[in-house]
Amino acid sequence: MAIVVFGWSARTIAAEEVRGEHATAVHHGLPAAAPEVPILKIGPLHVTNSMVVTWIVTLGILIFARIATARMKEVPEGAQNFWEWLVESLRDFLESIIGPQLAKKTFWFFATVFIFILFTNWAGLIPGVGTIGWGHPNEQGGLTHISTPLFRGVSADLNMTLAMAIIFFVCWCVWAIQANGIGGVVVHLFGNPARKEMSGFLALAMAAVFVLVGLLEVISILFRPVSLSFRLYGNIFAGENLLEAMAGLVPILAWLIPIPFYFMELLVGLVQALVFMLLTAVFTLLICSHGDEGHEAHH
Amino acid sequence: MTLFTLLAASNPVTEIAEQFGVDWWKFLSQCISFSIVAFVLHKFAYQPILQVLEERRKKIAEGLANAEEIKKQLAAAQQQAAEFLSKANADAQRVIDDAKSAAKSLQERESQRAVMEAEQIINKAREATTREHAKMLADLKREVARLVIDTTAKVTGKVLSDADQRRLSEEAAKELAA
Repeated sequence: MAIVVFGWSARTIAAEEVRGEHATAVHHGLPAAAPEVPILKIGPLHVTNSMVVTWIVTLGILIFARIATARMKEVPEGAQNFWEWLVESLRDFLESIIGPQLAKKTFWFFATVFIFILFTNWAGLIPGVGTIGWGHPNEQGGLTHISTPLFRGVSADLNMTLAMAIIFFVCWCVWAIQANGIGGVVVHLFGNPARKEMSGFLALAMAAVFVLVGLLEVISILFRPVSLSFRLYGNIFAGENLLEAMAGLVPILAWLIPIPFYFMELLVGLVQALVFMLLTAVFTLLICSHGDEGHEAHH
Repeated sequence: MTLFTLLAASNPVTEIAEQFGVDWWKFLSQCISFSIVAFVLHKFAYQPILQVLEERRKKIAEGLANAEEIKKQLAAAQQQAAEFLSKANADAQRVIDDAKSAAKSLQERESQRAVMEAEQIINKAREATTREHAKMLADLKREVARLVIDTTAKVTGKVLSDADQRRLSEEAAKELAA
């Protein structure tokens, strides 16, 4: 029933579809949800096709990192040089934004977010992602559509982007409490920053205002995982659909038209990785910097 | 029918979630997957590099500290060398001055001694000359006295007594002294 098809370009298949059956082409775009891979399941935990790419990319990064760090030299060269450059640049960049101490503590998360999102975004552009998988034959017995691809762009799966956003949210809460204490976090959110300079009715009125401001702040904080996950998912999902649409625009030029968009998607992949990392880093800085100031004031 | 789809029937948020394929089990799988990815990358991909970077940073800091220390030592050594040099110069100058003064005093002493010796030589020579002169005069006197006595004896044809000889000799000596 299900047929495994190996092909090099999803875009080419899509173009074929457009040529054959215009009416159904719209339905054959990338589905919004990442399907499960039929042969992979660990208990109740589902293994989706985006997770397959997650682990292939992770394995690739790990192998490269192990090769780069296998025989470390004082004067780096080759793979070690590149990997050192990447890690050191990221560390310096993060240190310049959130400060050395916070960067040291949170580097594992921000570096992973950036490197992982960047390479999975780019991996999603490799021909084969979306075109190798399972499909249903048409009346003539030919296969024009892959209904369950084996590979899918990792960030084109909302479960994945939401997972990253929620993990960040949990980490953010932990880091916030570590830096400020629970009382400090509450004061940071609801307290009047200029309460020491105020007294009497004005202080009470401003306290009430800042409680309302704090409520708005809490709502905005609670929406961060949603905005973070949908931003990344939306950009990458839209990018993949854009490439597919461009391939199907003029069937005879299906090999040419997507090329500029491929370059754009390379840029989008980098920008989205950077945006996710920067936003999460800045959110962390905003909640932790207050604590640092408080500590300094105590000293 | 899962709990998720049951909720989806009444809740717009879950409807949206279902539309985009959000499923709690898939979400949980992705959470576990990403956590493992983050741990594995941190442990095996970043840490070795971060350790190397930290070691290099320490080495550079140590190198800079050493360079600073060496710079200080060099400055101290240069100052010491300059002090030694100036002391050596002062010593040498003193030795030269001592030598000059010693040479000057020696020269003076030697020249004084030379003058003295020269005066002594001259005095000795003068004394010798005087002695020689006196001796010559005495010889002359004696010879003249002998000649006078001989001549007187020959002229007078007589043998002169000792008293005559003494008188003639004294007279001749007086004549010569005059």
